[in-house]
Amino acid sequence: MRRDFLKWCAATGLGLAVPGRTGSSLFADEKRELPAYDGPYFVVCNASGGWDTTALMDPKGVDGINRLYKEGDILTEGALKFAPTAEHISEGMSNEDFFAKYAKELLVLNGLDYSVNNHSPCSRYMATGNLDSLAYPTFAALIAACRGRDAPLSFLTFGNYSGTGNLVPMARVPYIPSLKLLANADAVQGIPQHQYHEAFVNDHIERALAEQQQRRKSSIRLPRRARADDMLYAAQWNSQALSRITPHIPKSIPKDSLSQQAEIALASFKAGVCVSANLTIGQFDSHQKNDRDQMKLIPKFLASIDYLLRRAEELKIREKLVLVIQSEMGRTPTYNKGDGKDHWSIGSIMFLGPGIQGNRVIGATDNGQFAVPLNPKTLQGDSENGIRVRPEHIHAALRELTGITRHPSAGLFPFKIPSEEILMGMWG
Amino acid sequence: MKRQWPKPMLSSAWFCVTAFYVAASAIAAEPQQPPGCYAASSFHAAWIKVGERTCMKCHNAGGEAAESKFLLRDVSKVPATERAGALIKNCETFTRMALAKDAGGQSRLLAKATGGLEHGGGEVLKRDSTAFRVLKNFVESLSNRQATSDTPGRLIDDDLSSFFDGVEMISDHRLLRRITLSLAARLPSDVERQAVGKNGLSAVRQVLTALMREDAFYERLLEGFNDILLTLGYNGNGEDVLSYDHFQHTRHWYQKHSLDHIPEKERQRARYKLANEYRDAMRREPLELLRYIVEQDRPFTEILTADYTMVSPYTARGYGIFEELKDEFEDSDDPFEFIPTKIKALKNRAGKVQPSKDGDYPHAGVLSMFQYLRRYPTTETNRNRLRARMYYDHFLGVDIMSLAPRVGDAAAIDAQYEIPTMQAAECVVCHRTIDPIAGLFQDYYNEMGHYGPRKDGWFDDMFGPGREGDDLPESEQWRALQWLGKRTVTDPRFAIAMTEHVYYILMGRKVLRPPGDIDDPQFAACRQAYLAQRELIDTAAGRFSETGFNLKSIFQDLTVAPFYRADGLAVAVDQPERQAELDDIGIVRMLSPEQIERKIIAIFGRPWGRLDGTYAILYGGIDSKEVTERLTEPSGAIGSLQRILANAVACKNVAADFALPPAERRLFPSIEPDVTPNVDDPKAEQQIRDAIVHLHQYVLGRDDRPNDPEVDQTYRLFAGVVAEATARERFEKVESYFCKSQGQEGPRDPDPHYTIRAWRAVVTYLLRQQEFLYE
Repeated sequence: MRRDFLKWCAATGLGLAVPGRTGSSLFADEKRELPAYDGPYFVVCNASGGWDTTALMDPKGVDGINRLYKEGDILTEGALKFAPTAEHISEGMSNEDFFAKYAKELLVLNGLDYSVNNHSPCSRYMATGNLDSLAYPTFAALIAACRGRDAPLSFLTFGNYSGTGNLVPMARVPYIPSLKLLANADAVQGIPQHQYHEAFVNDHIERALAEQQQRRKSSIRLPRRARADDMLYAAQWNSQALSRITPHIPKSIPKDSLSQQAEIALASFKAGVCVSANLTIGQFDSHQKNDRDQMKLIPKFLASIDYLLRRAEELKIREKLVLVIQSEMGRTPTYNKGDGKDHWSIGSIMFLGPGIQGNRVIGATDNGQFAVPLNPKTLQGDSENGIRVRPEHIHAALRELTGITRHPSAGLFPFKIPSEEILMGMWG
Repeated sequence: MKRQWPKPMLSSAWFCVTAFYVAASAIAAEPQQPPGCYAASSFHAAWIKVGERTCMKCHNAGGEAAESKFLLRDVSKVPATERAGALIKNCETFTRMALAKDAGGQSRLLAKATGGLEHGGGEVLKRDSTAFRVLKNFVESLSNRQATSDTPGRLIDDDLSSFFDGVEMISDHRLLRRITLSLAARLPSDVERQAVGKNGLSAVRQVLTALMREDAFYERLLEGFNDILLTLGYNGNGEDVLSYDHFQHTRHWYQKHSLDHIPEKERQRARYKLANEYRDAMRREPLELLRYIVEQDRPFTEILTADYTMVSPYTARGYGIFEELKDEFEDSDDPFEFIPTKIKALKNRAGKVQPSKDGDYPHAGVLSMFQYLRRYPTTETNRNRLRARMYYDHFLGVDIMSLAPRVGDAAAIDAQYEIPTMQAAECVVCHRTIDPIAGLFQDYYNEMGHYGPRKDGWFDDMFGPGREGDDLPESEQWRALQWLGKRTVTDPRFAIAMTEHVYYILMGRKVLRPPGDIDDPQFAACRQAYLAQRELIDTAAGRFSETGFNLKSIFQDLTVAPFYRADGLAVAVDQPERQAELDDIGIVRMLSPEQIERKIIAIFGRPWGRLDGTYAILYGGIDSKEVTERLTEPSGAIGSLQRILANAVACKNVAADFALPPAERRLFPSIEPDVTPNVDDPKAEQQIRDAIVHLHQYVLGRDDRPNDPEVDQTYRLFAGVVAEATARERFEKVESYFCKSQGQEGPRDPDPHYTIRAWRAVVTYLLRQQEFLYE
């Protein structure tokens, strides 16, 4: 009967986007025939509120731009320079430890021009690469749509700007215990031994829904209704694959929010039900007591990234993990009266993962923390012929890196970048 | 004294642009008599892709270039009967400017657009842009006047009268069900059904009028407005809106409130309850103001102008005014009975009283409520600009941050000017509008959202307090927010913004934005859809104003509009243009967790009880604080929750319904569990089909006949389950332990034919369908 049903699905064009679920006699042994999403996985780590890049990967020891160190204190690890922080932090991971561990894999881009300096447009611009539209998807949503739209948690988000461009539904799973519940939807209280229906009844229900969906597909519907029918059916059908998360749900829950987000994302990656995730922590908006706040948050942020990478290693998916580490703006080169720093439209971004050659720095800011124009062909500073590197340049490069530039979904949201401005060889 | 800056005016399609009005001298040489309107087709393209999107931002009667002779009219804002004339007038203005030449023989239209001839707005089009090419095509088409057969009549491409052609509307009965479920959390009564059967849409209107007096309507209204204002989500405990400086002796009244009448062992729990209800009531005050205004048919402008606030017996204690008000409450122990009242001018611990010429706190509707101020707090660097932004968004429908101006080098501007927000044109263009509004909130300068002017006085490196060119008179300083509220409600954008809010509540999504990409092949179609929706909003907003700002009029207008009633297509639509036009038509809205729970209660008579807290967020809900936008499309996580819901609700209700006498049953009033499918018994099949028709109608709102394919499908499911169960050698003759009709303590329900479980499968199946999970 199971085979008949599968044949029927194929014949009617329904397809089976995901493997079967626990407890279903109909599909139980079909798992291998229905591959899970197997990577690469994409994580965007966002320091929400605007990080102080001079306290991290773009150190400045002059003109009091950063009061925590002098020019001579600036440290290097390979080709990367960074601000010394070990002496200023009480918890989390220092820059010294972070760069010692990851500099070889890290690509840093300094002198990124966000063009504006308000949180809302900056967040959107940084996330989507388009300042002038509210319709563009974030990179995480776009890559999810291109790589694994049918995965039940294809695009996970924990905050930050998360526009999807209507390409893929966004999923919110705020707490780790929620995973267990979602993984056992046909069981009473999520306890697998206590199924609501016998397996054969579930099969009948699924078949009825599938037949109904097929019948509706051939009917005349309003475009919005047709989309909703398809999305609803896909959401319920594909959700059966969430049963595979169960073995990957962590037994202990980390304390900090970003690490919890990382666990949910990693369990979902490992189960093959997720393509990308937006992770975020906030409160970087240090208008008062900049140094105190940044020295609290940056180490915390780095420690969580370290946690993410270590856990990915343990789960054996580290080599498939592409990491974008970003914030929506930088902070001014001067302190205000409250020892804070205000919004600055120049900042930095870091990358790590397969296909990205590390131990490199692209772009720079000058001693006033202004962007130095970049020659897009040589990736060297070029005051005369260089360009101002903006989020659209980064996003175009990310699309190239991930092979989705010519994907139809990406084609719906093009960047109008002159060919001579394309960053050549950015990924090494 | 008026400032030197020209009067700014943000519209809902407003963009921050670096633009200034055109010097009159620059157009002095232009021909005085318009040459008429021809080349209509190319004009229409130039108009929709350049004119109304770019030129008209400044070149309109209230705009930056109001003194220019190149003045255009916003066609979408004129009555339909005048639209053609306005468009022709714009065409003539465009044509005149296009035919005029600069010294080099270039069209002045093209020269100005690209920054020539001292164009006040500078370079608004680049020569390699699509917009410039469109404009150039128009100019070129003018050069061969004889070759064109265009007539002005052909300009009327914006005719919207046939927009809904081929779109089928929902039946009156289903519309009735949609409205009662959506706005009153109940199914229609028999009387209402009969009235609609007899009198159609007019009866629907009458039902709606009555329904808008029901409590459930106000719960829905308040929930919808909280989605917009998010006032439930302010930081801290509910009573934290009351400052220590002004309410130190009363704000924690619940800690010392006598509970002696309660047995000692229950007292602690009672105190927790007291505190929680007090806090909930405090959070609700702004929403209760809305309820009061609408319930009493007061002008909704009072949302910004009410010279009173709302208090309950519990919150009145927090303010320290309970004793003077207690006789006005019907039940002075009801934490959620709200009445309007005025608060005296605030007196701080040192005995200093806030300035007030009438002795009262200067109430200005929601604007001056502590909850609103705390939900959108300020900082020393933000300087109330967040509040200014939210003011525009909430009450004028202008999202200032939606499209920020891109500048060449924002960092350099920051460094170049001492006060960029007052000196750099790129910054001034927004800040001269935002900062005066921020200044009006200056008496609430406290990061906790409390009353208290800034110790060092208001900032002098910001544009001073006022509104869009009008300075706040010093004599009005003590009631600056009242001053703001009064001006806001006379702004036409207020009525439109409120209409858009109601649209959001009804449709679950915001109104369309004007299409932005002129390279999109469907640009014209998307614009047509936008205009059709604008027409609805503008009409409803007009009536809202005419009715004295009775918010109910908007519900009346929108619920009978084709946008709300559109339900299907008469014939398939293959043309991409028409598909784009219809893309957003129809509600087709995934219900929120709160709506789903209410629908479950309406249909099954009791809640599922799980769609709150964590489940609500998982299901796309909001917490009004950090998660503030509802998910509108189901992810796999939501799909999983839908399966849980369907399983659990069916489990809880099917056996329980059969256990009732038939006359009391909701789901199975006309069938018993001993009726089984039998090919030799057509009567049994008919009985089962009738039961399915009832379920389809009752649970899904479908009006199916017994031989409808949907009924066939459900019948096959029921019969298939029973057949497969009975074909097995043995199966339990009782319903699941977890789905017992009598709850955990009762026995398992007999189910010798597996029919109760089959019906449970049917109900599970129905609860997973769009007709149940969406509206």
